Amino acid sequence: MIFRRFAVLIYALLVIIPITMVILTSMKTMSETFENPLGLPGEGVNIANYIDIFRSETMLGYFINSSVVTLASVSFTLMFAAMIAFAITRLTNWIGTIVFLLFTLGMMVPAQVNMVPLYNVVLQLGLTNSLLGLILVNISVTMPVAVFILTGFMKTLPKELFEASTIDGAGEWKMFTSVVIPLSLPSLSATAIFLFVMHWNDLLYPLLFITDNNYKTLPLALLEFQGQYATNYPMLFTGVMIASAPMVLAYIFLQRYFVAGMTAGAVKG
Amino acid sequence: MRASKNIYLFLVPGFILYSIFFLYPTVSAFFYSFTDWDGISSEFDFVGVDNYIRAATNDSIFAQAVGNNLSFMLFVVIFQTIFSLIFAIILIKNTKFNIFLRALFFFPTILSSVSVAFIWSFIYDPSMGLLNTFLGISGLEALQQNWLGNQNIAIYSLAFTQVWFHTGQMLIIFVAGLHAIPNDLYEVAKIEGASKWQTFKKITWPLLAPSATIVVAYTTIQSFKAFDLIFATTRGGPNHSTEIIATYIYEVAFRSYNFGYASSISVIFMVIIAIITYLQFKVLRSDKVSY
Amino acid sequence: MKKSLFLSFGTAISMTILLSACAGDQGGGDASGSNDDTNNSGGNAEASEDQTQISFIHWRGEDTEVFDEIIEEFESENPDIAVEMNVYPSEQYQSNAQQMLRDGSVGDVFTSFPGSQFEVIRDAGFFADLTDEEFVSNFNAEAIEIGQADGQQLAVPYQLVFNMPVYNVDMFEELGIEPPQSWDEFIEMGATLQENDIQPIAFPGGDIGPNQFMNSMMMNNAPDEDIFAKLESGEESLTNDWWVSTLEDFQTLLDEGMISEDSLGIQQDSAIASVAQEEAAMLATGSYHMASLKEQNSELNLDFLPPITVSEDEAQYEGIHTATFMLAVNENSEKQEEAKQFIEYLSQPEVASKYANETGQHLTIEDVEYTSEELQDTAYWLTDKETRFQPRFFITNSSVENAVLSSIEQVLGGDSPQDAAEQAQQVVEENIE
Repeated sequence: MIFRRFAVLIYALLVIIPITMVILTSMKTMSETFENPLGLPGEGVNIANYIDIFRSETMLGYFINSSVVTLASVSFTLMFAAMIAFAITRLTNWIGTIVFLLFTLGMMVPAQVNMVPLYNVVLQLGLTNSLLGLILVNISVTMPVAVFILTGFMKTLPKELFEASTIDGAGEWKMFTSVVIPLSLPSLSATAIFLFVMHWNDLLYPLLFITDNNYKTLPLALLEFQGQYATNYPMLFTGVMIASAPMVLAYIFLQRYFVAGMTAGAVKG
Repeated sequence: MRASKNIYLFLVPGFILYSIFFLYPTVSAFFYSFTDWDGISSEFDFVGVDNYIRAATNDSIFAQAVGNNLSFMLFVVIFQTIFSLIFAIILIKNTKFNIFLRALFFFPTILSSVSVAFIWSFIYDPSMGLLNTFLGISGLEALQQNWLGNQNIAIYSLAFTQVWFHTGQMLIIFVAGLHAIPNDLYEVAKIEGASKWQTFKKITWPLLAPSATIVVAYTTIQSFKAFDLIFATTRGGPNHSTEIIATYIYEVAFRSYNFGYASSISVIFMVIIAIITYLQFKVLRSDKVSY
Repeated sequence: MKKSLFLSFGTAISMTILLSACAGDQGGGDASGSNDDTNNSGGNAEASEDQTQISFIHWRGEDTEVFDEIIEEFESENPDIAVEMNVYPSEQYQSNAQQMLRDGSVGDVFTSFPGSQFEVIRDAGFFADLTDEEFVSNFNAEAIEIGQADGQQLAVPYQLVFNMPVYNVDMFEELGIEPPQSWDEFIEMGATLQENDIQPIAFPGGDIGPNQFMNSMMMNNAPDEDIFAKLESGEESLTNDWWVSTLEDFQTLLDEGMISEDSLGIQQDSAIASVAQEEAAMLATGSYHMASLKEQNSELNLDFLPPITVSEDEAQYEGIHTATFMLAVNENSEKQEEAKQFIEYLSQPEVASKYANETGQHLTIEDVEYTSEELQDTAYWLTDKETRFQPRFFITNSSVENAVLSSIEQVLGGDSPQDAAEQAQQVVEENIE
């Protein structure tokens, strides 16, 4: 028991200390950061950097763009991936295996590899500088992970469930929406959190496809605090704090479903 | 209980997108791996398997990158899996405090890789960094290191950062997996007077196998793709000691403008991951139990 | 259970649609002058029809503010042109710029590094020929040679950077140290500084240190300007004396404690800080960091102090310069005329002076008036000193460049110069035809 508490405590410190450092740095000035990297900010609680960021009128636009892209990407990835995972679980023949392999393989492809060919595709479809283009690409590149995780969980659902609903004469769609989805809530919300994080922080694709300031997302905006020869750490960390806030909210929101999954007792095959 | 034909319709929307924006570009990359394309010009020549021969026989940095990547992967897979499993078991009950701690442990995951890189560069800085300062204050000067500058330990410093970054994420998968284990099994075990260890060995572990497979496989793949973190922290240096395959692919494709060769390295890279993932599946699935 | 799920899914999706609509509005709303032919900006009263929008891309995040002002003035003088500027970090710029230039929609005016990026863009044919443009005469003829190829002026470098160590002049005076003129004096200087508990050289080995400091370290060991061309053609080898002795000089600096043992883990920001706080005497990067140093410690008095690695009478070169931030017009662009007009504007001495003084950079434009203190104090390097173009930019193959830099890191990590040179040479041979 003591060992448990100790291990948890140590790890908690390991997380809290760097976060505290980020918060403190975001309240410092540039020169303070280096003169006194570990100390408290000279002016106490100083939110000047936060005000500065929100004063620049473009920030709100970036924030909205990021929200749109993330929400749409997460919802559709989750929906399509759950459908595919369900199909894989139901298909007992070779097609199911092939589909599963095809998506698993997708996780292994490093993003650097298909960056150039992907850019060509997006360009030919006229989807550069468009949020829609970004969303479609996001869905496609994160689907493998989502399919992989969801299939893993759906396979553990008791087979009798499917049989029971087949006898009831329910179609596949009904079975999917009224049996499988509710039972997969814990894994769906775990996957949703993964996807939220990935899409919200994604830098590579906006960097490639978006050059118009009206369609830029937050991670792209954060890059502006990084110069060729000097990085504005206080501003950067302020940006990090602001960009992280929605993720904290998303986590708190989705966390309820893990709990729900537990207490509903539905999983007890 | 065979599925009806309608089930294929479930594949359609996802598959269309996946084909256009993923399969097609990936297959093109495979095609380019047999060419000398620079990634920009409209012209290129076919060079057969020359690129593959070069990677296998005449590229000392690629060999080094593969080695580094394996060390990095082993460290991350072992520590990340153990940490997340232990914390999941400790924090399984949905008390307020546990929920808070799970959220806290998850926090690093929501940061972007670039932010994590900045934070840890700050921590690892040899003279004014948090870590060496802390060791200095605690009288542990002997343990002070040049964490990212020493060629022998830099890759492990980065591996630790990666563990810090993603343990919370894996913790969630394990928690979801543990929650899926029916409570009655534990009640039966309790009635039969099984010890904690016996319960873990006979019930928790076998039923956790699917989650464990996901965690281990995903962690493996993540550690091969830890491009952003490493690139933003050390860019593969010093002297390629933190070069992993993904950073090397980037260098070859976008700095040396040798897209054809970079594609062939990527194909080899995929084969390596596929083999390792397959082996892991074999090992972890062997003790699969159904209930 | 089920209901709440669909509720949240439904909410998510409808919120998405709603927000998409908002974002679309916002996108269309201020897409003034965006010349894409989608007409979703309909209903917008701004007159954008007869305005041409050009895109300007570069990598100098530090300069955003000055450029914003310059662009505003340019636009008011040329009401029919709007400039949209996009800034990328230099890393991403090096990898992504070429892709974006391909279709001509971005980067009507773009910038290029000399060296391998210039070569690749030239190979791909993205440079519009600027040879006959009048504004070329506003530039210093010698400085812009690096932007020429096959008798054409493909790009015009804008900034003039001195890639050699910066030092704290007052500190040297207080300690009675004369700027060293030879390698022996340089080592002696290091000893004196260390006696006074000052780190002689702050060397950011974790990022740009090796690729900046190698230039002045080798300038007199390998005075031949074609040395890297010869290396890439196989005529020269890194195991020959010019490079091995450079590595040995690095080792000497390490052994004498002039570069700290930790240097490979130090990033540029913390190296700057240690010089600004007067814990170190020299910063082994370049002129571009003078503004940051002054910002952190306004009392500093700075000048350059490149190491002379030979005896005084053998020294041919006194320092290093680079003409960079090369302005160019995209060959694939349909708005080349407007793009050239913008470069013409940047090359006017008054505009250039504003840029120079606000960013703390020397420029390649003739007749620029340097009013800022550190620029005035160091301007004599432009005229009175024998400086040499940064040798590193004569390496056109980036794998070769990496091998060269790795050998420095290897020596600073404790390996012998001979071994490091041999391993680097092996990588070079793997990468040249």
